[in-house]
Amino acid sequence: MFSELLTTLINNTLSKGLWNFSAELCLSGTIVVMLLMRLLSADRLLPTFIVGLIGAAAAGGCSFAQFADLIAANDTVSYSFFGGMLRQDLFSVFFRIFLTLFLILTIALTVLTGIPDNEDAPDFYSLLFGATIGMMLMASANNLLMLFLGVEMASVPSYVMVGFLKGRKASSEASLKYVVYGAGAAGVMLYGISLVAGVLGTGDMAALAEQLRVVAHGTAGLDNPEVLTVALGVMLVMVGLAFKLSLVPFHFWCPDAFEGASAEVAGFLSVASKAGAFGLLVRFCVGLSGVPETADLMTAFGVGLGVIAIVTTTYGNLAAYTQKNLKRLLAYSTIAHAGYMLMAVAAMLVMLNSDQAAGLGKAINYSIGGLLYYLAVYMFMNLGAFAVIALVRNYTFNEDIDSFKGLISQSPALCITMLVCIFSLIGIPPFGGFFAKLMIFASVYQAAQIHWAMYVVLAAGAINTIFSLFYYVRILKAMFLEERPADVKPVPLPAMEGYYVVVLAVMVALLGFLPQLVNGLSSIANEAGHAVLLVIGG
Amino acid sequence: MVGETLQKLLMTAWLLPLLGFVVEIFFGFWSKNPRHSKAAAWTAVGCIGAGFLCSLTALVMWGTASNAFDDGDAEGWMSQQADINHARHPHHEADSSEGAPPHEHEGADHDAEHHGSSEAGADHILTAVATEDDGGPKLERGQTVYSGTIYTLGVFGSLELTLDYYIDSLTLVMFTMVTLIATCIHLFAIGYMSDELTDEYVDHFAHKADGSHVHRPGRFYRFFAFLSLFCFAMLGLVLAGNIFQVFIFWELVGICSFLLIGFYTERKTASDAANKAFIMNRIGDFGFLIGLMVLWTYFGTFRFGDTMVDNEVVDQGLFSMVHRAEDGNFDRDELTGDVLITGTDGHVLTNEDGSNRQIPYYLLVVVGLGIFAGCVGKSAQFPLQTWLPDAMEGPTPVSALVHSATMVAAGVYLAGRFFPMFVQEVLLTIAYTGCITLFLAATIAMVATDIKKVLAYSTISQLGYMMLGIGVFGWAAGLFHLITHAFFKSLMFLCSGSVIHGCHHEQEMPKMGGLLKKMPITAITMLIGVIAISGLAIPGVIAFSGYHSKDAIVASALAFKNANSAHFLLFFIPLLTAGITAFYMFRLWFYTFWGAPRDQHVHDHAHESPWIMTAPLLILSVFAAFCAVGGDHGYLYLLLTGDEPAHLEAGVTAVGDGITLPAIQDIVDEHTTAGTWALVAAVSGTLIAYILYGTNFVNVEEMKRQLAGVHGFLTNKWHFDELYDALFMRPAHKVAAFCAWFDGAVFDRILHGAAKATVVVSKWDRVFDENVVDGFVNLIASATQSVGTSLKVVQTGRLRQYVMFIVLGVVALFAVMFTTFPG
Repeated sequence: MFSELLTTLINNTLSKGLWNFSAELCLSGTIVVMLLMRLLSADRLLPTFIVGLIGAAAAGGCSFAQFADLIAANDTVSYSFFGGMLRQDLFSVFFRIFLTLFLILTIALTVLTGIPDNEDAPDFYSLLFGATIGMMLMASANNLLMLFLGVEMASVPSYVMVGFLKGRKASSEASLKYVVYGAGAAGVMLYGISLVAGVLGTGDMAALAEQLRVVAHGTAGLDNPEVLTVALGVMLVMVGLAFKLSLVPFHFWCPDAFEGASAEVAGFLSVASKAGAFGLLVRFCVGLSGVPETADLMTAFGVGLGVIAIVTTTYGNLAAYTQKNLKRLLAYSTIAHAGYMLMAVAAMLVMLNSDQAAGLGKAINYSIGGLLYYLAVYMFMNLGAFAVIALVRNYTFNEDIDSFKGLISQSPALCITMLVCIFSLIGIPPFGGFFAKLMIFASVYQAAQIHWAMYVVLAAGAINTIFSLFYYVRILKAMFLEERPADVKPVPLPAMEGYYVVVLAVMVALLGFLPQLVNGLSSIANEAGHAVLLVIGG
Repeated sequence: MVGETLQKLLMTAWLLPLLGFVVEIFFGFWSKNPRHSKAAAWTAVGCIGAGFLCSLTALVMWGTASNAFDDGDAEGWMSQQADINHARHPHHEADSSEGAPPHEHEGADHDAEHHGSSEAGADHILTAVATEDDGGPKLERGQTVYSGTIYTLGVFGSLELTLDYYIDSLTLVMFTMVTLIATCIHLFAIGYMSDELTDEYVDHFAHKADGSHVHRPGRFYRFFAFLSLFCFAMLGLVLAGNIFQVFIFWELVGICSFLLIGFYTERKTASDAANKAFIMNRIGDFGFLIGLMVLWTYFGTFRFGDTMVDNEVVDQGLFSMVHRAEDGNFDRDELTGDVLITGTDGHVLTNEDGSNRQIPYYLLVVVGLGIFAGCVGKSAQFPLQTWLPDAMEGPTPVSALVHSATMVAAGVYLAGRFFPMFVQEVLLTIAYTGCITLFLAATIAMVATDIKKVLAYSTISQLGYMMLGIGVFGWAAGLFHLITHAFFKSLMFLCSGSVIHGCHHEQEMPKMGGLLKKMPITAITMLIGVIAISGLAIPGVIAFSGYHSKDAIVASALAFKNANSAHFLLFFIPLLTAGITAFYMFRLWFYTFWGAPRDQHVHDHAHESPWIMTAPLLILSVFAAFCAVGGDHGYLYLLLTGDEPAHLEAGVTAVGDGITLPAIQDIVDEHTTAGTWALVAAVSGTLIAYILYGTNFVNVEEMKRQLAGVHGFLTNKWHFDELYDALFMRPAHKVAAFCAWFDGAVFDRILHGAAKATVVVSKWDRVFDENVVDGFVNLIASATQSVGTSLKVVQTGRLRQYVMFIVLGVVALFAVMFTTFPG
């Protein structure tokens, strides 16, 4: 009996598990190689970033192969592996590709901006890779244990990376704040996990809803103590995720950490860490949904997320107004965008738990697809903005808006990139950001047919788009309309760096201009959305 | 297989000049020394020369494959054709009534295995030739037309605009002729245009406002770029497989002509002439467009031939959509008289509602007249002939290539190409137009003194002959004359160019004379051209090309006159004009090369041109003399007529009291008579010219005074320019002046009023905008700004508070959950 189990386990691991985990293994292997090279001083011969790029490319290749496998299969596939710890479906693979691509872009940026220096490179890239592995785990987690492990795996390297500029006091302080805040949030989340797992008797996220039905005995209101306990547990887990997503009121770390960290790290955290956390959130929410008894509760949960989304977006946008430091400004912008994306999750929850869920299959897919599309566009536009900041910083040693004044006269390439990225961040057509926002708002509108509160969410989203105009355009105004002050150091027209940011800007534009790309990506995203819902038979 | 190879060869010949054009037009960009280098010219020569080799290969290949060279026995192939056809269609004979002319043209051919327009079909015929060669009746000539699509430009609903090819004997002969002449003229132009090889060209004919000459950089490479573009367009026109494509290249040669006539753009006369040529052509093209519209509306396609894939017709062409009955007339609806539109198998096509597809007869006339209107413009026929003499403002190689040999002949070519669609009324119009033109132009040529103008009017006159030939059902004669004329006329233009070059841009013949000794090669080659165009010959001994082709036209005209005695003028005027032609051509030669020098200054400085200019003269003179050797048994004629329209064979019987079109045999019967008459006319013309200009017997100036009225009328070109000026220009100016007044007095006033009103409204709008709209926006901005500032307070940066906020946040969430979530 046991040996049979063991054989099955080994077989499954060898036949499927290892292949599914190959991207993560590539990254892990790369970390080992990088550290070994450091030990053997081989990093003087072969720059570490090249090893990193090769490793990331290998991981990307593996992910693409998996992607091809899944696309080639006739049915949408979803299954757990490694003893139910992780889940393999198009959703996981989408995130793997997304994260490896982003990793490559980040490495390229760090090479161009020269942070870290040769000495620190193995350390820095090891941390970067470690965090990426954590985020991949988050996106494919199938167990509450993996949920915690993934979050921590992503967080711990991030703490160090924020404080990586060792000489800077602000950097160390930011790192410390991030660590303490993160530890607090992790504690709360772990408590929540123990409550949920304790009451429901399982850590398998796919089985949460089913177990909840069993435990609830037909009365699924808060007056049922078991349900109440689970609700508290879910709430506490949400706190942990809200920390990663920097949702109000668990966002306090974000502006301080971003201001302290270098722009490259801030760019990485603002996109990758958020992406992983959203992947996890979607899986967690899907795992809890789909049981008629708890439908009301989950709808309320969805609306609650919608309210948090409103608060987060509004807070982020308004707080960005008075910022002078660009990284800080973009930190608030990040908070606001997390709010927009959370609206998609809220819409998904509301639709998934309505009694018409069966008929809404497509719409639910679209809500997740919209989220993924938003993430993809966000990757390019946010990284583009942070890259411009990092490049300008290298010349002016300053990250304030003032250092951008009149930049158009000196390096138009950077300014045009910034313009495209910012227009896309605002959501002005025809750039990618517009379509991403449109998809999310469309899902919210669909959800509003089921619960009126989503109309409020929709309205808030629309109004916030206008709010965001003011502070974004302030950057553009400084760059394009104001005179370059005499005391600011000049920024020469960049060569290689220029191509890099222009490529990002072109991608942002193409994700809006090019119908084939928009349709192709969104249909893949919708497929991934479909895949993640298979857990509950959606 | 043959078709594919032919297509590839001709496509190469067609596209090479385009490549050349691209290279040459950017020559200034590529070359370090563009104003002094001849590389552009040699590129052009290389392209067109290679094109000539391709065309020649294709022609020989086609000729061999279709046995076109095989003249059969002494009777001439034409009389034999009927037998051949019978041999080739034995079962036709079996089931059709005796002596029925077989429908020989592609598409009209009922039998799948005898389709001529497909490669497969063609190959089949060729195979038949091979297998039946030794046994049974001998097959001499096969009909081989290849058509298909090269590229689809666009699809608009059911309208498909494509680039097609249509390769038959006419295409191939035209290709070879155009590329050969163009190569010679390119070579000649290298010498002729060499004074453009400078950074500062002084144009003695262009004056600035202060009277000084215009100085400009030389435009040597640009000239050759235009020439290459023209060659591309001209070859495209000939290769075109649908009438719309013809129109495209038609306009393209038009623009090239415009660019080349106006090459010396600083000269007002040149730019005016370019405009005139372009505008006159637009008038004709208007008719062309109407024809196209009618064609599209009723036939739904522009293609000439059927496009075949694997022996199946995939796209039916125009030529097989109208079917001719045995008497040569179109199949018509018995009740309405409309012409029926048929499928490839000869059965009438039906509309969706089951009724027969048909086109009213008068609209078929409109189509023919419309297309012909385009030809009238392009070929400078009456009444649009006035642009061609003015077009002589272009450099002489251009006159030789564009305005005598090729482009102006395109009108005749199109009339020949579109011949199967023409009905009797259209043909009669063509014949009379040609007849009027040939006489009119010849009379003007008698008194012109500018050497190029004489040649220009002669060109118009000869084009009139060609049109006449086509109009009187002498399809082969008209096109035969097109080819021979191209050779001798381009030769004569180049000779005149050589004279002009040698005399330092003196074009007035009264200042020349006695140049024979100074420029012997030019004079002799010119004489060959003159003899050729005059149609002089010693029958049975030697005859130059013009004799054969003009003879053929006159014979056709005579046969036509015999069949329709009311139209006797169509025979007598060309006959008379044959004499006039000989007169004015010899007048030109005597004036220029004979006798004593009239202007010693010009004569002293005259010199023979360099070899690069005389070599083309020699080449062309050989062709001018001997290209038509053998007449209608010669290679050229047999090649040209290999694919002539099927209904020529038996002629067309008159409907009611309409026009009868003579059968080929009728024309052949008149050959000797017509030849004799034409020769008599030519010899008389020559003699008169010799007496007047070759000797001193008659005082020409005195004669001029005696006939001052006629002479003035002719030198003023029959007052056509004045007539058009009074008829069109002045009324147009009047209308334009009125429009200008109306525009200023009425429209502008309304516009100004509207503008003022807009300004007033805008001012109010501005007040509203600044106070209300901006106020609202600023209110929002300042409100959000203040909220933002207050939010800043929370973000203290103190870690202890932050951790406190986690706790507070969790508690607050709990509270919210307990109060709001459903119990």
